[in-house]
Order: sequence, then C-alpha cells, then structure tokens
Amino acid sequence: MLTGALAADLAVNGLVTGLFYALMAVGLALIFGVLRIVNFAHGEFYMVGAYAYTIVAARLGVPLAVALPTAFLFGAALGWIVERTLMRPLYANIATWGLMRDEYAVIVTFGLSLLLVNLVDKAIGPYAFRAPALVSASRIVVGPALMSGQKVAAAGVTLVTLAFIALFLRFSYWGRAVRAVSQNRLGASLAGIDATAVSSLVFALAGGLAALAGALLSPIINASPDVGAFPAIKSYVIVVLGGMGSILGAFIASLLLGLVESFGAVLVSYQYRDTFGLVLLILFLLFRPQGLFGERGREV
Amino acid sequence: MRNVSHLAIAALTLSVSLAGSAYAADPVKVGVTVTQSPPGSVVQGTQVKDGLEVAAKMLNDQGGVLGRPIELVVEDTQGLPEKARAAVEKLITRDKVVAIVGEHQSSNVLAGMEVAHRYHVPYINTNGWADAIREKGYPEVFNPNNYNRRVAMAAADSIKKLGAKKVVAFAENTDYGIGLAKGIAEQLKAVAPDISYRFDTLDRAAKDYLPAILPLRSDPPDVVVDIMLPPAAYIMMNQVYEQGVAPATKTWLYDASGLADYPDFWQNVKEAGKDMLVFGLYHPKMKAPELAKTIGDAYTKKTGAQPSRLLYQAADSLLVVADAIKRANSTEPDPLVKALEATKYTGTRGEITFSTESGYKYHQWLDIPYVTFQITEIGQKVADAPLVEQAGQPLDPSKLARP
Repeated sequence: MLTGALAADLAVNGLVTGLFYALMAVGLALIFGVLRIVNFAHGEFYMVGAYAYTIVAARLGVPLAVALPTAFLFGAALGWIVERTLMRPLYANIATWGLMRDEYAVIVTFGLSLLLVNLVDKAIGPYAFRAPALVSASRIVVGPALMSGQKVAAAGVTLVTLAFIALFLRFSYWGRAVRAVSQNRLGASLAGIDATAVSSLVFALAGGLAALAGALLSPIINASPDVGAFPAIKSYVIVVLGGMGSILGAFIASLLLGLVESFGAVLVSYQYRDTFGLVLLILFLLFRPQGLFGERGREV
Repeated sequence: MRNVSHLAIAALTLSVSLAGSAYAADPVKVGVTVTQSPPGSVVQGTQVKDGLEVAAKMLNDQGGVLGRPIELVVEDTQGLPEKARAAVEKLITRDKVVAIVGEHQSSNVLAGMEVAHRYHVPYINTNGWADAIREKGYPEVFNPNNYNRRVAMAAADSIKKLGAKKVVAFAENTDYGIGLAKGIAEQLKAVAPDISYRFDTLDRAAKDYLPAILPLRSDPPDVVVDIMLPPAAYIMMNQVYEQGVAPATKTWLYDASGLADYPDFWQNVKEAGKDMLVFGLYHPKMKAPELAKTIGDAYTKKTGAQPSRLLYQAADSLLVVADAIKRANSTEPDPLVKALEATKYTGTRGEITFSTESGYKYHQWLDIPYVTFQITEIGQKVADAPLVEQAGQPLDPSKLARP
C-alpha cells in the first residue's frame, strides 16, 4: 500500500540515490563525449576513491575535510595517468587507427578494471572497510524521510560538486574547450584547442568525480575490492538513457533512474529493482536511441 | 651365472623396495575448493582454508594417514558455481585427489558435488547450509556442518519464545538465503501458525536496500530476520538501523547467518549490531571436546585470530576424511564412502555421525550444537556476549535485554 508518507519517503530517497548515480555518470558521459569510448574501469575509480578516503581518514588519522579532497585528487591522478599511458594510442594515430580503436578501448579499460580489483584484493585484502562518517548522527529527519547524517552530508557535497562542474563547463576556458572537443575533435584542434590536454583533463576529472562518489559513500557502502561494479553498471545505463556524452542528460537520467527504482521496488517488487533501469534502457534503444538529450548519429 | 642371477634378484628387490617406500611417502591428496578472491566471501574462504591447514598440520605431525602425509590442493572458486564445478573437475581428473573438502557456499556445493558424484569421489560439504544439498541423496556427499532446517527450527523456536506476531526476513538471492527463508516459513507454520511471516529476497550484489526497508517504517514487525552474508548483510543491517526499524524497542533483529564472529563485523557495523540476537554455531562458553582447544590454539598461533565456527567446521571436514581413510585402510572411493557412512568420530564440536534417512537428513550430522546469544555492547567480542539460549535448551526470554 503506497501511502502519502511512504511516497514522499520514496521520492526523497530516490532523488538522493539519483544524485549519487549522477556523480558517477557525469564522469562517464564526459569521457564518452570527448574520447568516444566507454570506460569499463570507471567503477574501479569509485573503488579507489573509497579506499583512499578510508585509508587516509581512518588509518592515517587525517581530518575528514582533508581526506575527502585527497580521495578526489587520488582518483584524478589515477585518471590522468591512465589517460597518459593507456589512452593516448586512441588518438595518437587517429587517421590510421580505424575500426581497431573501439576494440582497443574495450580491452584496455576492461583489463584495467580487472587489474585494479585484483591489485587491491591482494595488496589491501578482501575484507570490507567502513570509513568514518562526515556527520556522526545515525539518523536525521529530512522532510518526510529519515536518513543517516552521512547520506545527508554526501548529498550536499554531491549537489555542490555537480553545480561546480556545470559552472566550470559553461563558463571556464577549459570547460568550453571540453565542449568544443566533444563536438568535433578535429575542428577544435584546428581552432587552436589542445585536444590532447583536454582528454587528460576529462579523464582526470572523471576519475576524480568517481573517486569522490566512492569516498562519500564509503561510510554507507563499505569499501571492498568489488564495490565499484554496481555503481558502474548503473552509470552505463544512465549514460545511454541521458544520451551518450550529454552531461545534462546524464544528470536528469540519474534522478529518473533513482526515482524509478525507488518507486518500482515498492509498487512492483524489490526483486526486480535492478531490472527497471534495463527495461528503460531497452525501451530507449527501441524508441529513442539517442537518449533524452543526445543527438542522432551524423556522418558525411 | 648364478652370481648374475643373484645380482638381478637383488637389484629387482631393491628397486621394488625403493618404489614401495616412494609410494608409501606419496602424499594423500585432498582437494579444497574455497573462495580466495571476489565476488564470493573471501572472509569465509580464508577462515576455512586456515582451518584446513591447521588440521592437516596436526594430522601430519601425528604421522599422516596410512603412513602418508596429507597434502591439500587448493583451488579458488571466487564464490562462483561455474568455477566451483571446474575446480572439482580439475582436482579429481588432474590432481587425483581422494576427496574434496572446504566448500562454504551452498550454490558452489550444489555445483561441485555434481562433478564429485559423477566421478564417485567423496565430497565433504564444509559450510553449505541449503537443504537441497542433502535432498539430492548423493552417496558421495557428507555434511558434518550446519543445515538450513536446523537454523529454521532454531529461528522458529526463538521467534515463538520472543512472543512475536509479525516477522519479516531479508534473505539474499542464493540457494542458502531463499532455502532458509522458506524453511523458517515452514517451521513457523508448524510451531506457531498464528505468526505472520514474509520474506523479501535481496540481491547480494546490490548496495541499497532502502526501498525494501522503507515500508517497514510505518508498520514495523516484531522481528526482522537476517538471512544474508557479508558484505551485503552489513549494508542491510546499517540501513535497517538507520531507518529506525531494528534493533528498536518494538523490533528485534535476529541474525540467522551467524555474522557476529566474522573478523570484519565491527569494522562495518556499529550501532546496528547492538542488541542483535545471534544464532551461533560457536561460542567460547559452549561445551566442546578437548580437540577443539588443540585446534583453536593452533589456529590462533597461526593467524593471531580467535577461533570461529568455520575453523571448527573446516577442521572437522578434513578430520572425518582422515578418520575414514584409516578405518577403510584405503583411499579408493568405494571403501572410503562406506567408511564415511559409518563415521562415529569425536571432532572439535562433538561426536559426528551421518544419518542415512532420506531428504534433508541424508548424510547429515543431525545434532549440530548451537546457541543463541545477544550482542549487548558495540564492539563486543562473541566471548563476552551473554548466552540467552544454551545448547540443547530453549531460549530464555528473561535473559534478553530490550533495545
């Protein structure tokens, strides 16, 4: 029975879950927009962020306000290194690369994912770790909903971060450069934009955002080697729903997915919760393959 | 000519005796399938592996079996049934193991035992609780460990003693989780038909269970039963607590999965673990044979950790195999299976025998000892948690502390 109170509860929780999805999905959309590849290691940036925050805050005793940006920087640094070492061949010989480009990206990012999961498993261990919460209150009343203090704090940080990313992309030089390269890499290069530097920036930003998501949620979803798989799968669905490469689309689709899952779990069945996104995905691919805000493919 | 013949005979005798002594020193290989990497429970796998190694060392220090040392051949299943199946195939066909031990996930047992059954090789189920494992009726499969029906009976009795009217269980989407959830339903129907009971199946790979928990806020049950394993169980418990559902003044949290003795329990659960009732297969205050202390001390020396139920289950799994080999005086499948069936061995938890009744009792050690205890402080060790139900006695509600 869906009462008014339960509906409001589900709506608030669905939107908050959607916000967390967005933090992951925006990075993935950025990478696709600029590099036209799907990063299959995106979930592992989330995992790295969760561990970085947990270790820095809980083991080294660094203040949480410092540990959080440290996790972001850790993810960003890893993203930057990955772009410099593994992604450069994608556009180093862009004229001769041809069809192998997609296969290369899939194999390299998938391999990187397996490598990172197993490295952490062996180096740190298989045990799950719960990170210290930014806010220690176990329960906070948020309108009709009851949430842990950490969730409220994480939602706040997420909103601020997403707003900052939107402003950065809209108004800064590098933000405009990212948009230009995502529209036309060659054209942007001809206009004097350093497309290679933009690629590095995008990978670092996406890595940082995913790591931040992992750090923010590590007091709720304990850090473990395979913790990134679940949010990564959601992100892939969201990026397609929102329109490949569309930042706004990824944001809207994240909230939509959060709400659909939240209500669907109660109105239909919790057991099918993770299939709702996939059903949406199939429907979109059938009837609106460009997603909510994507463009139809154009070739000349 | 005669000298040559003598030399030939002497050479032959020497070679045969050398071959014989080499054969006698050949190890008895026992296959082990455990989870050593994600996505399965590596925590469980590590405890089981350590327990088996402790037991193997103890046996080898005592001279091994039939004058031969025991060698464990370990395969990582990652907690995946298809890998468990492949691991058992490899252990039997390539490594020529005489028995398989160690598996600790029901889904993996169900996959691996099919292969063992096909090759007619003894398979000792170390920690698969699903009744379906027994109900298959495979003569090679033996279960010196806990079983779902046992937990279901214990949970139903405890729930009845708690005076509950409405009960909700959260079960993981595995053979273990769904099997136990259904078992509790059957047992409650038998012992307390007035109690309203339902269970929700949760994906153990998921990270957010709130949509399943939120409806309980407005209409909380008297008992929430956990039928999930870590790390999913920890997330569920924290979210159930965060929403004020359980443990709460109105609602007990009953852990049917024995989470409290996991090494990472308190790293992942704080307030959500306080006041929880735990179905326990091991508690330091339980009566146990002398062998438990020997194995427990060796385990602590090896790992620095305190003994756990999985340690003893793993050790007993190997010990019953060694005992059967000695009694059968053979490592061949037929005599080994026959000897296992006639087992009457005092292991670390009591005298182990295997029932030959059909159904969930088949090749099952029926009298697995268990207790119920309550966690009364955050960070509390199992040894300090008060027992509210002694082995073989009903739960005593007067010993409970209300949240």
